[in-house]
Amino acid sequence: MPQKPLELILARNLMSALSTPAFLVDEGGVLVFYNEAAGALLGKRFEELGTVGADEWGSLFGPFGDDGEPIPYDELPLVVAVRNGRPAHAEFEISSADGARHRVEVSAFPILTAHGSQGAIAVFWPRASRNGAAA
Amino acid sequence: MKVKLWGTRGSIPSPGPETIRYGGNTSCVGVTLSDGSLLALDAGTGIRSLGLALAAEPARLHILLTHLHLDHIQGLVFFAPAFRPQTEIVIWGPAAPEASLRDRIARYISAPLSPVEVRELPCDVSFRHCPEAEWEIGSARIRAASVAHRGPTLGYRIDDGASSLAYIPDHEPALGADIDALEEEWISGFGLAQGASLLIHDGQYADAEYPDHVGWGHSSLSHALSFARRSGAERTVLFHHDPMHSDERLDRLAEEARSGWAALGGTEGAIGIGAERAEYELSAPAAGMVPAS
Repeated sequence: MPQKPLELILARNLMSALSTPAFLVDEGGVLVFYNEAAGALLGKRFEELGTVGADEWGSLFGPFGDDGEPIPYDELPLVVAVRNGRPAHAEFEISSADGARHRVEVSAFPILTAHGSQGAIAVFWPRASRNGAAA
Repeated sequence: MKVKLWGTRGSIPSPGPETIRYGGNTSCVGVTLSDGSLLALDAGTGIRSLGLALAAEPARLHILLTHLHLDHIQGLVFFAPAFRPQTEIVIWGPAAPEASLRDRIARYISAPLSPVEVRELPCDVSFRHCPEAEWEIGSARIRAASVAHRGPTLGYRIDDGASSLAYIPDHEPALGADIDALEEEWISGFGLAQGASLLIHDGQYADAEYPDHVGWGHSSLSHALSFARRSGAERTVLFHHDPMHSDERLDRLAEEARSGWAALGGTEGAIGIGAERAEYELSAPAAGMVPAS
């Protein structure tokens, strides 16, 4: 398997040390890593899930808009960041593996290098669970 | 492919009676490809001696810079071939968002740091950003890839026939990660070093020194050994010695390296400490690598 670009390697190393939930996709939009904090939020560790294709991860955990409907893949901040090369922000609900809903704010930004885009990072900020308690 | 170490020291030249055997010049490795093409890997103060050793006949040579820290470019204005009008020099290096390679090098080769400007160099000099894809120089295929250090930094892989050299002199692959637990595709520099005939790799710090230097962009001995072992390189030379390490200290580190290598299951004799003027002749894998001195 070809080696990951250094920028993704360093991003993963940084994310591994953070308590903020964070997700990493490569230039093709493939989910290549999320950290332990994200795993706790989703109810599933990355090592259990593994790499997820660009057209699959968007629906694994929702996300759901205020109307309860799934948010279109193209509108997810991480997708906007990797496709359009610009930061994006949104607030929505995600569903963890045990079915619990978590309201989160998400900020995503592209990883741009001398050789173009190498992927994108998204950090999740848990707002409150559906019952109003802090997630 | 023939390889000669002209400068093995990191950070700052450290000449003196305590560094005579391993050398005090900063990073520079001369490579003669099978078709006779000449490469210089980095242009630390060791490149001055390389330049003096080259014949004064018209020549074309390539200088491959890993990055532009002073210990990797300081010898450029003391490189004799650069002052010969008949010499063509191509300088390769990493791209950076702020300025071209030429402009960044010109910050050093200009007043008040230098008595000459880039435009005053008598040789035919050109500057090229290393491409993302592999390219050819003479009989070799060259690959450059970003590696974990401070600022834009490359490592190089040179494949010439059946032999290969990986050169990663400034490298901290274990920064923020457990190098023993990572999958290979997530290890900085792995793709360059994998299965190389000879790996020249950062080994700046003893393990006890590393905790005070995390994030400085260099390897501890244990991290260097783990990287080398996982890469499957046939032989590894530790390089970019700390300027505080005397010959006696490096002798002790060499012994620690041998015992650590053995503990990792490495082949006896496949690990060593780089010494200035040491030469290696890389041949096909079946014949192995022959240390010329």
